[in-house]
Formats: sequence, C-alpha cells, structure tokens
Amino acid sequence: MEKLTREEVLHVAHLARIKVDEEEIEKYQVELKQLLNDVDKIKEVKGYDDERMIAPWQADTTPREDIAGEMLNPKEVLKNAPKHSGNYIEVPIVISESEGA
Amino acid sequence: MSNYIPTIGIEVHCELKTNTKIFSNSVNGYGQMANSLTNVIDLGYPGTLPTLNQEVLNLAIKAALILNCKIRRQMHFDRKNYFYPDNPKNYQITQAETPIGYDGYVEITVNGKKKKIEIEEMHIEEDTCKSTHRGEKTLLDFNRAGVPLIEIVTKPCMESGEEAKLYLEKLKELLFYSDVSDCKMEEGSMRADANVSIRKNIDDEYGTKAEIKNIGSISNVKLSIEKEIERQSKIYDNGETFLPQTRRFDDKLNDTVLMRVKETGNDYRYFPEPDIPYVILTDEQIAEVRKTIPMLPDERREKYLSLGINEKITEKLVGNRSLSDYLNNLLDKKLDFKTAANLLLGDISFYLNKNELEITDTKLTPTRFIELVDNMSNKTLTSKNLKDILDTIMESDKTIKEIVKETGIENITDDNAIKEIVQKVISENPDSVTDYKAGKDRAIKYLMGQVMKESKGSANPAMAMDILKEELNK
Amino acid sequence: MKYLDKTIEEIHNALKTKEIKPIDLVEEAFERIEKNKDLNAYITLNKEEALKKAKSLEEKEVGDNLLFGLPIAVKDNIVTKDLKTTCASHILDNFIPIYNATVVEKLEQNDMIIIGKTNMDEFAMGSSSRTSYFGAPKNPWNKEKISGGSSGGSATTIAARDVLFALGTDTGGSIRQPASYTGIVGMKPTYGRVSRYGLIAFASSLDQIGPMTRNVYENALLLNAIVGHDDKDLTSANKEKEDFTRLINKDISGMKIALPSYFMSDIVTEEIRNEVEKAKKVLEENGATVDIIDMKYLDKAVTLYQIIAMGEASSNLARFDGIRYGFSVENPKNIDDLYLETRKIGFGKEVKRRIMVGSYLLSGENAKIYYNKALSIRDDMKKEFDKVFADYDLIIGPTTTTTAYNLTDPMDDPSKSFMDDVLVIPVNMAGLPGLSLPIGFGKSHMPIGLHIIGNSFEEAKIYQLASFLEKELNLDLDSRKGDNNV
Repeated sequence: MEKLTREEVLHVAHLARIKVDEEEIEKYQVELKQLLNDVDKIKEVKGYDDERMIAPWQADTTPREDIAGEMLNPKEVLKNAPKHSGNYIEVPIVISESEGA
Repeated sequence: MSNYIPTIGIEVHCELKTNTKIFSNSVNGYGQMANSLTNVIDLGYPGTLPTLNQEVLNLAIKAALILNCKIRRQMHFDRKNYFYPDNPKNYQITQAETPIGYDGYVEITVNGKKKKIEIEEMHIEEDTCKSTHRGEKTLLDFNRAGVPLIEIVTKPCMESGEEAKLYLEKLKELLFYSDVSDCKMEEGSMRADANVSIRKNIDDEYGTKAEIKNIGSISNVKLSIEKEIERQSKIYDNGETFLPQTRRFDDKLNDTVLMRVKETGNDYRYFPEPDIPYVILTDEQIAEVRKTIPMLPDERREKYLSLGINEKITEKLVGNRSLSDYLNNLLDKKLDFKTAANLLLGDISFYLNKNELEITDTKLTPTRFIELVDNMSNKTLTSKNLKDILDTIMESDKTIKEIVKETGIENITDDNAIKEIVQKVISENPDSVTDYKAGKDRAIKYLMGQVMKESKGSANPAMAMDILKEELNK
Repeated sequence: MKYLDKTIEEIHNALKTKEIKPIDLVEEAFERIEKNKDLNAYITLNKEEALKKAKSLEEKEVGDNLLFGLPIAVKDNIVTKDLKTTCASHILDNFIPIYNATVVEKLEQNDMIIIGKTNMDEFAMGSSSRTSYFGAPKNPWNKEKISGGSSGGSATTIAARDVLFALGTDTGGSIRQPASYTGIVGMKPTYGRVSRYGLIAFASSLDQIGPMTRNVYENALLLNAIVGHDDKDLTSANKEKEDFTRLINKDISGMKIALPSYFMSDIVTEEIRNEVEKAKKVLEENGATVDIIDMKYLDKAVTLYQIIAMGEASSNLARFDGIRYGFSVENPKNIDDLYLETRKIGFGKEVKRRIMVGSYLLSGENAKIYYNKALSIRDDMKKEFDKVFADYDLIIGPTTTTTAYNLTDPMDDPSKSFMDDVLVIPVNMAGLPGLSLPIGFGKSHMPIGLHIIGNSFEEAKIYQLASFLEKELNLDLDSRKGDNNV
C-alpha cells in the first residue's frame, strides 16, 4: 500500500501541534496518502484561468478610519485565561525563539 | 586573516505611527499598563475577524513612495502559520505573495560616493505580543499584538558594516521625517536583522549565510556585522565551514552568539487570508498620499546649501524638522536666509527649548519673523539687544518695530547722529587720539567704548566703528 | 397552552392584545424542550436569562415586529456574551465569551429571546452531529436516525416544534442537509449577507449563518432580521435593505429553472429523484419551465472542499492552544507540552483528523500544487454558475442523496461524510444562496428536501419559488404525529 513516511507524518503533526501515538502515525501514513490521491483529481481539471477566488464576495471593502474604539479592561483579558500573574497572561517557559517577525 | 568580500542584506521592521492597530481599533501605544490596550480581536478570540486600518495603507504607500518602490495596485494578505505564545492566533497576517512595495532603493553616500541600496520588497504585517521570560514562566502582554508594521527587505547588496549603518541611518531619517514611524530602536519601534555572508572572489557563489536578529541600535548593527565577518573569515581561514544559522548580538560580550542552526526551510503553510478581500489601490489614492510627503532631508540639505547656509547649520536645521518646515514655508520670500537660519537655531531654539515649545506654538508668525530677520540683517537690532527683547517678541503680537521702539533700544543707524557723537568723543579725549595715532591699539577700543556710552548703547556698533576710524584718520 | 403551534401572525396578535406575554412563550418553549430532552438538541439552556429578558420585554411596546418576544435557538458556534459557547468541543466546554456575535446583537435589536445553544458537530466538522462532545441529537421523525449536521441541534429543535426559530451555520451544507433530513426549511444566504463576526470560524471563505424554521415565510422573516452590512466583517456585503418576504405567494409562471443532470444522476436514491420529479412537474404545470442542463465542475466540488475547508480549518483552529481561553492541561512541562496535551485532550478525533489533513495540504509544496489550484478552479466554478444564471432564474435539485440514516451507521470512512454533502457543497464554493424545502417523504416516512439555488443576493426569488411549492404540496410536516414520537 502506498503511504507517507513516518517522518512526513511527524512533520505535519508537529506543524499542527497534534500529538500522535504509534497507531495514529501508521493510520495517517496511509490516510494522508489516500487523501492526496483523492485530491489529485483536481489535476485532471483543465482549461480554467489562473484567477483565484480568495473569498466569494469580492467586497466593496472600505477600510476603517483610524479612530480608537473601546478596549478591554485587563481583568477581562485575564478572565478566560487559564493562568495569569499580575496583569499578564502566563505560559510555561518558552525555550525556542520565535520563528516569526 | 585573508581578505573576503562580505555580502550583507538587511531586514527592517518598523512600527507605523497610527492611532490604532492594523486589524482592530484598539490603541497603538507604548509603555502602558500590561494588557490595557487590547480587545477581543488582538487576543485572537474565537469568532473575531480583522478589519483594515486605512491609515496603515496610507503610511505604507507613503513609505513605498519614499523608498522609490513600485506599488502594487491589487494585493491581498496571507496567513503565516506557526505556533508561538506571542502569536495570538498562531498565525500572523502578513503579505507574503503580494507585498505592497517592490523594486525600490535608498541612496547613501559611502566615502563621498553615492550608492543605491536596493529594496527587494516592502510589506505590511501585524506585530506580535510582547513576552517576558521570568524563570520558569513566560509572561504575555498583548498591547503590542496587532500594532502595524512594515518590513523592508534589501537585496544582498551591501559590503560592509559601515554601509549597513549608513543605510539604516538614511532609512530612519526618511521614515521618521515623513511621519511613517517613530523609528525608536530602543523602544522596538524599529528593529533590524542582518544577513551576512562572505566569499573569496566576486565570481564565487554567495557564502553560507548567518542571520543576526533583533539588534538594538544602529551602531551595534555595524559592530555585529564586522564581528560576524571576522568570525566567518577565521572559520574559512582554518579551512572549516559552518551551517546556516541565526545569531544575536550580545552587547555585554560585544559579539554575536549562536541562537540556533536553521532547519532546512521553515514550513509556514502560507495561504491567502480569506477574511480580508483583495485590496485595490488606485492612482488617485496614491496621488493623494504623495501630497502628504514633506520635502525630504536630502532635498532640504541641497536647498539650504544653495541659499548660502553653511554645512553645520544646514545639518542642524535638517535635524530639526519643525524649524526646517518653518523656514521652508518662507522659501519663496525675499529673505536673508543665512541670518534666518542662524536665528532659528540660535536664540529662537534656546527660547523654545527653555519653554518646551514648538515654534508653531508661539506668536512668532512668519510675517513677524521676516520683520525680525530684516531688522537683524540691516543691523537695526544687534544680537545683544535681541536677547533682551526676545521673550517679548515670542509672546506678543506687536510688530518688531513697535517692540524695539517701546524698549528704547533702537539702534542709531543715522550716520549724522553717530558722527556727532564720534566728533564729541574725539574732541573730549585728545590724549587717546594721540595714542591712536602713535599706533596704540587699545586707544581705539577706549574711544569706541566712549562712543557707545555716549549713545547709551544704541549706536550701531559696526557703523560707529567705521565712522570713528574715518574721523580719526582725517 | 399551545401558542407555539400557531401561525406567527396569531402569536403576534396575542402578544399585541396582551392575551399573552413573551414570558408565556418562553415558558412554553422550555416545557417542550424539557419534554424532548432525549432528542439532545441543546448543549446549554439559557433559562434564567431568557425569563429575565421576557420580563423586561413587558415594559416594551410590541409594535409591528412579528419577531417581538419570540424565543430562538442559536447554534453553539455563534458567540453569546456571558452565555457558554462550546462549539460542541471539550476545548471550549467552559468557555464564557466576553462579546456578542453581530447576529446575536441583531436578535437583541429585534427583541427576540435566546432560549439556548444548540448541539452540533464539533467545530461544525461533520454531517451527522455525531462528532459532538455532548453526543448526537436525534431525529424527531425517528429517534434511531441522525438529524444531519452540522446544525443538527437547530434542525432537531425546529422539527420537534420546541421553538419557531433557530440559527444554523453552513460551510458545506450544514444548514440545508439537516433541514432536509428533518423536514424543515433551512436557508444558507449568499456569502456576505449575514455578518460572520462572532461565528467561530471553521472555513472562513465558506461559512455563513442562516435561518432554520418550520416554514418559508418565517424563514424569510428571520433572514430580514439578521442581514446587513457589518463594519466588523470585511467580507460582509453592503446591500440596500430589502424585504425577503416580498415575493412570497407571487405567481411563478414564466420562471426559468435549471436542473443540472449531475443532481439527478444515480448518486441520488430513486425515491428522492422521484420526489424531485414530482416537484418539477408541479412547477411546469404552473407555468415555469424546468430544463435539464449540464454543468462543469459540480463533481469536483467535494475535492475543492476538502482542500479549501480543511486548509482554512487547520489555521482557524490553531488559536485553541490553552493560553488565552478554553481548556488547558494542568502543569505542562513546557510550552510544547501545553500545546500538544491541550489539543490532544481538547479536540475530538474528527477535528484532529481534519487539522492534520489541512496542515498536510498546506505544507511544503502542497499549498502551491493543491490549495492555489483549488482557488483557481473555485473561481471558474463560480463563473460556471454565472453562466447558468445568465439564462435561468433558479437552479433546483435534491438537497441530499439519501434520507437520514441510522445513528449507529459507521462513521469512520472519512470521505463518506463529505459525500453526504456532495449536492450542497457547490453552493458554498460559489458563495450562492441555497435553501432546502421539504417536498415529500421516503420510505419509513423520512423527509426529503428540494434544494433551491439562487444567484448571488437573490434570496427573495428562492423564497418565491419555495413558498409556492410549499403551498401547492401542502405537506403535514409536524414530526410529532409520527409513530416514534412523544
């Protein structure tokens, strides 16, 4: 049976922060490959133009004026946060550096 | 150490000077109580959607124009997906595919020669939240989350730390001058990363790249690049190699230190942000923004030098945007610009600093300023006298003439009036006249003092001296 | 008291003449919900607040608003301030929102009373509501059967006649398919008609909120109340206000209707095709023309859906990380541990599967090969619909390929669940409005729905046709008269 490698599955699981056990790794090796074969169907589609639809309604988008609105009180910010300390939301120690901006 | 050719590219993030955040209407502010400048959008609450701040588009267009970029007329935003606690939605909204600006340049002068630093692209994105590491935990403050940024990416076209420094100084000056950003590196509203590689010959491929992240000041950018070039040179000299890596500048060690070796290709799973439809920019819109660009520093420099203002005063003037603007408003007037510039940067600056005022906050209207400059250049007013009446000038609506008259310090510029006084002094001090004729320098100073005393300080000193010499030499 | 079985006008008049008060309607609704508890239509009831709201409405003039004082059920992926909103997921099972969705504000403005939050597939991912953390709702026509999904709870409560009004959401058929399975009227409006602000996103470019009701007129009334441009949603359309009931009961003669051959192919059971044929005949007898047409791309819609919906979902659900809100594991060792354990315990199987699929389809080169190509084909699919609408007023077809199946049917075939929605997904792809109308019953008296698709922003025309058929067919759609009911 065609399948993805373990590493490929683990890579995706890491990107998505989804924990997978041995059984699930094997399941995804097959399932993701099948899915890929499935969606390969779109390669059969020919003759469409390159224009992409980001959203169906190409809105008459009017950006917002730069005027400040209401903000949350720090208490409200913390209300739903599982852990906080002072006015801050707290998370366990972050080892790696941000990958982003 | 052998000689290598360094190649340097710089990425700069600048926070835009808006009232509100890019995708929400909470305040874009610095130094406030933690988590006091947020709303549900900044926190990435379930169900929230981004809105788009028009001023962000305007400032980005402005920056693109100033950096000589081409501007994309149809663009969209993309999601950059990665998990990190400072990234509230665990995706960042950015422009990966259609940056608003591209193919631009900034001109710098290196060793007297002009060089264009090419800008690859400039895009809009949102800032992350601020995280502080404290022992076993990390604290999150979302005030910065969603603050608008532009990221400006150069081509790998610089060859030294000095060039990088000049580029950053120029960039900072331009963006600050045009009110795009505060550009305060110490507050993080401007942040720079440098990509550094070296190679032996110009025909070789680029060497292995090291990225130096989040350097805290322009001088440290220069220093860290120089240190990095040195580090890489040593490695190659020893016949060794290294892996592409991310480093940071440690200001205690005064050197770059390794953060991590780069994994092969980050997998950010970019895709177009479906919550924000295509943004279309029109020529009219861009033209409107263009009108808001002030005269830029280099143009000002050229202008001031051509008006005969010296280099030192010119630099000072360019360094003071509001005084420079004030003067620029008078450029079409007939005016002694040298005197005007001296006045602005001298007594007037002193007054403004002392009172913590902007010139536009004072009563020194352009008309009154022109009158003041005229009075100075035709020597009706001396700088000594000016000091006595400056406060009144800055704080009243009266004409300069009226003020001078009221305070009785009007310079006697009438030739005959001065002549009379001079003749009187000469006739009353025959000894000094003799001394003068015998070549004693001190004598003329004494006589001059007597003239000023007789005139109660109101004689124009230059004129008085001329007339005194004339009379003595008769 | 049986006010909730009366017509909307009758109820309105009773309120107006003070024969009843809003609180009577609320109490009656809760009695019914209590009686139908085993249908598992609700995740959270809003009893205390609903009664309070009803009381407060006594101070207010009833006026001409037909919706005044009426109870409404809201799908649990629409955020309600201070009222638990779970998305039928463990990861949000204690989540109390601190703001209201725009539609919820609109219900408030219309003096409607939110009675509770309805059951659904977890994060709307499913077509039978069986992925709910709180167990599946049951079909009031036959409790062995599914109510469909993902808006299964909203469909159930309407079909059971607990209340007259419910809100559902539709990403790939999630309003229309359960409406069809339960014999009610469900409308997915044009993308952009109803603000998505406060709808917990599954697939942002497909999601749309819509009304689910026992009849066409009430459906149009509720749509009237929830549409409108919203500054908080950049994809919200800025259209002039219109009355969606205005064409109801208007003559349909001369209407040009298209029936794509794909919709009548053997992917659809014969009994359903027969009912659609009957409806077609009724339309033709009344002066409308119905042409069988061929359309490109319809058979590709599910594939596009898999790529686009899963891709967007994997990104939309990244925010559930145990940091700012929602479930979070105790004492994680480090940040990655917090992410992994929270998401492992917080999300159900199907949700995790779709996040994996979506992440995979966007990772590395896949985004270019699949995602971008899907967006291009999607654009062409919309153009294909545009071509049809250049010649036709409406498109019809069956809503589903079968009637509601058993709750115990296997659910481990991942692609089967999308095939349930094969007929309704193209409408989401093109952003069009679509409505499911009950038109008959299959074996063991399970309801069958007709899918009516309109051009963008032509919901009124859909209601025109639907109301006409509703009147002509005059079906008894009260599930409580069936064999298996209380």
